[in-house]
Amino acid sequence: MGVFTRRIETAPCTVEISHKFESLHAHVRFNNGATVEPGDEVHVQGPEIMAPFGEIVSEDREAIIVRASALERLWTRLTGDMEVMELCEFSFSEEVKL
Amino acid sequence: MNMHSADAETAEEAIAVQEKLDSNMATSMAMEETLLSPRFYTTDFAEMDSINVEPVRKDWDILMTRMVSDPNKGHFKKNEDWDHVDWDGMEPTLKKEFIDFLISSCTSEFSGCVLYKEMKRRGSNKDITQLFQLMARDEARHAGFINDALREAGVAVNLGFLTQKKKYTYFKPKFIYYATYLSEKIGYARYITIFRHLEHHPELRFHPIFKWFREWCNDEFAHGEAFALLMKTDPKLTKGVNVYWIKFFLTAVYATMYVRDHQRPAFHEALGIDPAEYGQEVFAKTSELSKQIFPITLDIDNPRWVRNLVRMQKANVDLAEVAGKAGFGAKIARLISRLRVGTAFILLYAIPSKTHEVPESPRLEPVW
Repeated sequence: MGVFTRRIETAPCTVEISHKFESLHAHVRFNNGATVEPGDEVHVQGPEIMAPFGEIVSEDREAIIVRASALERLWTRLTGDMEVMELCEFSFSEEVKL
Repeated sequence: MNMHSADAETAEEAIAVQEKLDSNMATSMAMEETLLSPRFYTTDFAEMDSINVEPVRKDWDILMTRMVSDPNKGHFKKNEDWDHVDWDGMEPTLKKEFIDFLISSCTSEFSGCVLYKEMKRRGSNKDITQLFQLMARDEARHAGFINDALREAGVAVNLGFLTQKKKYTYFKPKFIYYATYLSEKIGYARYITIFRHLEHHPELRFHPIFKWFREWCNDEFAHGEAFALLMKTDPKLTKGVNVYWIKFFLTAVYATMYVRDHQRPAFHEALGIDPAEYGQEVFAKTSELSKQIFPITLDIDNPRWVRNLVRMQKANVDLAEVAGKAGFGAKIARLISRLRVGTAFILLYAIPSKTHEVPESPRLEPVW
């Protein structure tokens, strides 16, 4: 990992989308054990994946992971917390007027 | 039988199947799409994985046994209680605000699920991974249930974000605990307050989803219990400088709730709820609950409390007025409004808090 340079790697991944009444969820799992670190960017390749209502769809794709530089990683670790309020839910969007 | 995209051999085929399905649906009603955009982030997974729940083992096992037994399984189903909703007859502003409520709630549940699942996947500690797996299950179930209500209203969620580029930010584990714990507990207080109010005024229940609020918020309650236990494993999390962080989160969460609720007047009017009174009641309940783990609560009866909440709300409305406007005057107006919001927050934060003895065992039951 360079201080200023980003490294690009690809990873095979499985995308699972459940669009069922019992469960609405979606996940991306890297199949080569790759893990995402602060500041990294992930881009799953290929067209949008859809799951019709009532179905679970699972597809194998390739993901491009742009690894953050050491500086970016540090910056993200230092400043990421400032957005932590986004974890809170308030039932409504932040728009003042709809 | 219709083919579905799970049977499709290529992604293109899957999309074609989906488009056909959506267009079939569009003929019966105009479906509006909303893109779900959960946040993606990382944390110190190793630190979370190293949590040792032995100090709270007894309470932990009781909670896990209950969550594993899944008392709400089968509850989130439409049955004869799901009355017909007259979407066309609903007052347009109310409809807009109510749909905003459904979409925001669905996004929160969905984001919670993404977060919990990621923690489960990155961990190897059996206690921790089990907890996050169970919470992910509940959140996905809630999201599915809300999604169905949205579909009835003609809103289809789009999960296209998965194939878009996403940047992962970073939150410290302790901030995740404070934010998520409070979020779950205030969620419980919000829903149970509405549920009890509508028990007394069933004529104001303009949508059947409110009937499901009790079980829904009992799940939130249980999740909050789990985070209280996690915090209890490390006394440092609720001591020293962290008490200032706790106060920050309490103030920020309460103030944000107050501001957001006031932005949805039609929703609250339809339920016969005054957002200011409702806010105080929810804050009181949440404070009572949070005594289980936090050594302080906010003094919400201090006259400065409501006064500065009102100031913040007004400044926020003024800020929205000038947002996006061009010109030097608008820039200055924005700056002034931001300063007013910031000042109100600081004044809220400066109100002395109340201190408490924290009980040995945090365990609580939902009693409201």
